Amino acid sequence: MKIKSLLIANRGEIAVRIDATAKRMGIKTFGIKTQKESNAYYLRVVDEIVDFTDTVEELPEFLDIERIIAAVKSHNIQAIHPGYGFLAESPYFAKRCEEENIIFIGPSASAIYKMGNKTIAKQIATKHKVPLLQGSIGNVKNPQEAIVIADKIGYPVILKAAAGGGGRGMRIVEKASQMEKMFKMATSEAEKAFNDPSVFIEKYVRNPRHIEFQVFGDKFGNFIHLGERECSIQRKHQKLIEESPSSALNDKLRKEMGEAAIRIAQAVDYYSAGTVEFLLDADKNFYFMEMNTRIQVEHPVTEMVTDTDLIELQIRVAQNEKLPLKQKDVQLNGWAIECRINAEDVQGGFSPSIGTIQKIVYPRSKNIRIDTGVIDMSVVTPYYDSMVAKLIVHAETREKALLACVNALKKFWVKGIKTTIPFCIQVLNHKKFKKGDFNTSFIEKEMDQIFHQEEEYEMLAAYVAAFDFAAELENERTTFVNFEQGKNISPWVLNKRIRSI
Amino acid sequence: MDVNGKLFKKFLERQAAYEQQQGKSAAEKQHSKGKLTARERIDLLFDNNTFEEIDAFSTAAPSGGEFGRIVTAYGDGVIIGHGKINGRLAFAYAQDFAIMGGSLGAVHATKISKIQDMALKMGAPIIGLIDSGGARIQEGVSSLAGYAGIFNRNVRASGVIPQISVIMGPAAGGAVYSPSITDFVFMTNKTSYMFVTGPNVVKEVLNEDVSFDDLGGAMVHMKKSGIAHFVYEDEENTIRGLQKLLTYLPSNNLENPPIIDLRDTEERIEERLREIVPDDPNKPYDIKEVINLIIDKGSFFEVSEGFAMNIVVGFARLKGKTIGIIANQPKVLAGTLDINSSVKSARFIRFCDSFNIPILTFEDVPGFLPGLDQEHNGIIRHGAKLLYAYADATVPKITVILRKSYGGAYCVMNSKNLGGDFNFAWPTAEIAVMGPEGAVSILYRKELLESDDPAKLKKDLALKYREEIANPYVADEKGYIDEVIDPAVTRKKLISAFEALENKHVNVPSRKHGNIPL
Amino acid sequence: MKFYKKKKQTTNEYIAVSPKDKKYKILNPFGEEVTVNGKKTDIKIFESEEGFTYIVYKNKKYLVEITDKNQNKYTVMINGVSYSFTVESPISYLRKKYLAKHQTKNKVEMVIAPMPGKIIDLLVEENAEIKVGEPVLILEAMKMQNEISSHVGGKVKKIHVKQNDSVAKDDVLIEIEQ
Repeated sequence: MKIKSLLIANRGEIAVRIDATAKRMGIKTFGIKTQKESNAYYLRVVDEIVDFTDTVEELPEFLDIERIIAAVKSHNIQAIHPGYGFLAESPYFAKRCEEENIIFIGPSASAIYKMGNKTIAKQIATKHKVPLLQGSIGNVKNPQEAIVIADKIGYPVILKAAAGGGGRGMRIVEKASQMEKMFKMATSEAEKAFNDPSVFIEKYVRNPRHIEFQVFGDKFGNFIHLGERECSIQRKHQKLIEESPSSALNDKLRKEMGEAAIRIAQAVDYYSAGTVEFLLDADKNFYFMEMNTRIQVEHPVTEMVTDTDLIELQIRVAQNEKLPLKQKDVQLNGWAIECRINAEDVQGGFSPSIGTIQKIVYPRSKNIRIDTGVIDMSVVTPYYDSMVAKLIVHAETREKALLACVNALKKFWVKGIKTTIPFCIQVLNHKKFKKGDFNTSFIEKEMDQIFHQEEEYEMLAAYVAAFDFAAELENERTTFVNFEQGKNISPWVLNKRIRSI
Repeated sequence: MDVNGKLFKKFLERQAAYEQQQGKSAAEKQHSKGKLTARERIDLLFDNNTFEEIDAFSTAAPSGGEFGRIVTAYGDGVIIGHGKINGRLAFAYAQDFAIMGGSLGAVHATKISKIQDMALKMGAPIIGLIDSGGARIQEGVSSLAGYAGIFNRNVRASGVIPQISVIMGPAAGGAVYSPSITDFVFMTNKTSYMFVTGPNVVKEVLNEDVSFDDLGGAMVHMKKSGIAHFVYEDEENTIRGLQKLLTYLPSNNLENPPIIDLRDTEERIEERLREIVPDDPNKPYDIKEVINLIIDKGSFFEVSEGFAMNIVVGFARLKGKTIGIIANQPKVLAGTLDINSSVKSARFIRFCDSFNIPILTFEDVPGFLPGLDQEHNGIIRHGAKLLYAYADATVPKITVILRKSYGGAYCVMNSKNLGGDFNFAWPTAEIAVMGPEGAVSILYRKELLESDDPAKLKKDLALKYREEIANPYVADEKGYIDEVIDPAVTRKKLISAFEALENKHVNVPSRKHGNIPL
Repeated sequence: MKFYKKKKQTTNEYIAVSPKDKKYKILNPFGEEVTVNGKKTDIKIFESEEGFTYIVYKNKKYLVEITDKNQNKYTVMINGVSYSFTVESPISYLRKKYLAKHQTKNKVEMVIAPMPGKIIDLLVEENAEIKVGEPVLILEAMKMQNEISSHVGGKVKKIHVKQNDSVAKDDVLIEIEQ
């Protein structure tokens, strides 16, 4: 059974991305038009529009399950692709699709549910011998109990406030002798911050790297992985630069981690695209974090090195085809890097930069891929995330890819809003990043300057300001004001004007 | 005449003495305070070598008594004369703080009055560069009489020639009333002040400590009192601003405003205009973006930018010709009319009408700002000023309704029956007695009370209300709107409409003057 | 009578001053020979076909955009990095220097909303003492929570917003007395 029509229940670049593959496969695409972004670019590429603009419900359009399902029914659409975010990982949505006989392009509701539940996911990992971050089961009552657990899982460990977040009530314990003191500090801080002194204990991974594996399964029990992605360049848990493969892995570790990822997927009878996230410590021990049961923002780096189309695979799996690839067919060729270009003011602490993109141009060549949902005059609204484009560069080696990426970024011109381009250049030029020596705390610890600037920038900016100012003066000086013409009034008016004064 | 003889020598001596008085030491003193001298200001204001000074050698009248000391200096602390600004005749006086603090004595006042009289006779703009400590105490009542004479002339000239005041230093006590009568007030930030009673008096009477800047600085008058129409960061830019303003104004009330060909095409179609006004009636947008897309590129010159920002007023050009724009600003207070915005726009309309400047109104107004504070302070009276100003104006008047136009505010904002010459509406317009929610609650109160799902019923009724009543088509069919237009072609429509109205004349009944609800 | 015989000329000297008082004296910005701080500098400004403005300096291209301009206050973006300046004439530069020396700082400073959004949380109360850079509230825009911090230290004089208020760009949020 081939899918003939598809609703893309998403917006922005991923909607455009899904549309491109669907069109190539001869599928008719539908996009959702919202009042918040009624003129967005993705609406121009889809074949037909499902209009949600007439009424504004309290629930955001892309989260409104019943409204989406009703629209699919009324337009006679066969399938839904949820993209990422929004409803992509809602087991309830997947279930409603099953109930309504709509093909949900993604895994089964039960797989989404199991992986979405941290406790069940951890149980599955333990059962299938995938390493996990060890820790206490529940809260720890006193330092003595904490020492017993810490001895078992090995130092360093971290005490975390059960109620907490934001770094408060957290203490790293390096050895048993520190435990008593640190336990007291953590509990009192937790008490102060959250009114709840309870803490739990967990293995502490110093400066970990974020490595994730792209896995794929079909409905016939076949599984493959498509290598890893390194996403350690993060700010406040937002990934900013991703690459594939990772400089931290060798073939042996890759095989080991890939197999672990597949074990997780197998355990829940997974099909479609999924991502298994691991932490990798300095001694190359890896720990299972979670599984994302959707297509990821950073999927293009995998597509570039494996020469695949993951969206196509998703659709084929959804229409009950077998995976066309075996594990041995998957080869990682060269190196790919993705920079997320967000509408953010890096100098202003990454605050959103909303407005109209007056102009956008980017370099084009066969090893550069741009995924974007904006064009000239697109409006960046405050309602959605700030990503405007992804720049993906592919080359034979990491070194070449980095160089090509910096060059491409310098030719990526946007007018009207501020973007993270100067930030990306700064990271790519960083000595330690170039050497592959980095981890998730790279941005806060290694970057003294978070955006790329060259010595002459300020002088050039000063020149531009002076030039514009001088031009304005010159313009005022040379503008001809025709005062005489004001005196040539038709006698009709002038006579009446005089008489009425 | 023997150029080496006694007569000519005397003439040269006087020249030299005057030059010395205006020389370096006086200049340094002003410069050290971050200010320019009166001479330098005059020099900046007028075209190269066009300024002609008169009465340069008058000196202060000798004081009757012994109290205080009067410094005898040429000019008595004020420079008067005429010259060309952008090639056009203008008159000016510049007070000189270096001489007795620019204080106003009898001779000083007589000189100002003289130049005011000349400007009125010649029908040319007059500009006052003000930098004065106030009335000259030593001269007593004579200096007060001098002020009164100046005020009288200000009022006589009002609406006949453009009068502009530029505050470049202190203006205290009675001195503030001349600027407040004139059409526009410029101030230089941080070095100019205006107040009726100074900080010392405030301290004595009320025992409150207040700085010059907080009491009457440029920002206070720009944002709070609305007295300053333009504020610039330094004196050169202030004078540049003044020169720019003059390019929009005629010399007197018989002339038409000047024309500048900005080489902008008449037919320009702006598709962006179709998108600016959001479908969601509660969503704000920036009216200035609309204005800038319609008028000749870069020609908008905003007046009172920092005061009552819920209404935007200013000059612009359409096919080179000056127009005055009044526009509700949905970005601020949803564009409602309140006391300050009514007063601000009413005075601007009066100015435009006096000087034959056509008026263009962009309307997106949900109504008058409700509230105790507004009602108690007389929004009725102040709102009436705006209404009066619109109705009284005989220049061409065009309105474009962009979105909301509800209730009393519809009537006030140059509606057809108030005297609008052309009234256009965009398809997004909602014209009605009140907004959908309000209307539904009144008309269907009973039904809403009895309904099981009042929220849904209300929403459905509101939708129906919008479809049947709150749209531009009802008004269009009844002739209250002349045409519903495509936003993208607004510019073209306005240009041809103003062209049709170019020779408009309205016969007004003879009367001394109307009685505007002041 | 005519007093000034000196010919008025538009000086071709401009001084761009950065917020940190770094000074760029630019002579002849239009001319063939531009001088920056006394050094001859070869800079050219171009307009690209797509409508971008860029400059060429030492054979390198730089994307430029004037992102904000108010009278003589400029914010210019070069390759995505912003710089602020005031452009002064020689005379107004003297004035600026004088005022910097003689004017007391404004006593009350405003914390304004840098973007439209919703107030999620207020982190300070009226009359609280705060330090420079201390976060005063959390503003949500683009689904991200942004900490808004104070650019001055002092006492919180007045809070203009409540939790869950929607604010527009440039709205005054908090007044701080220095």
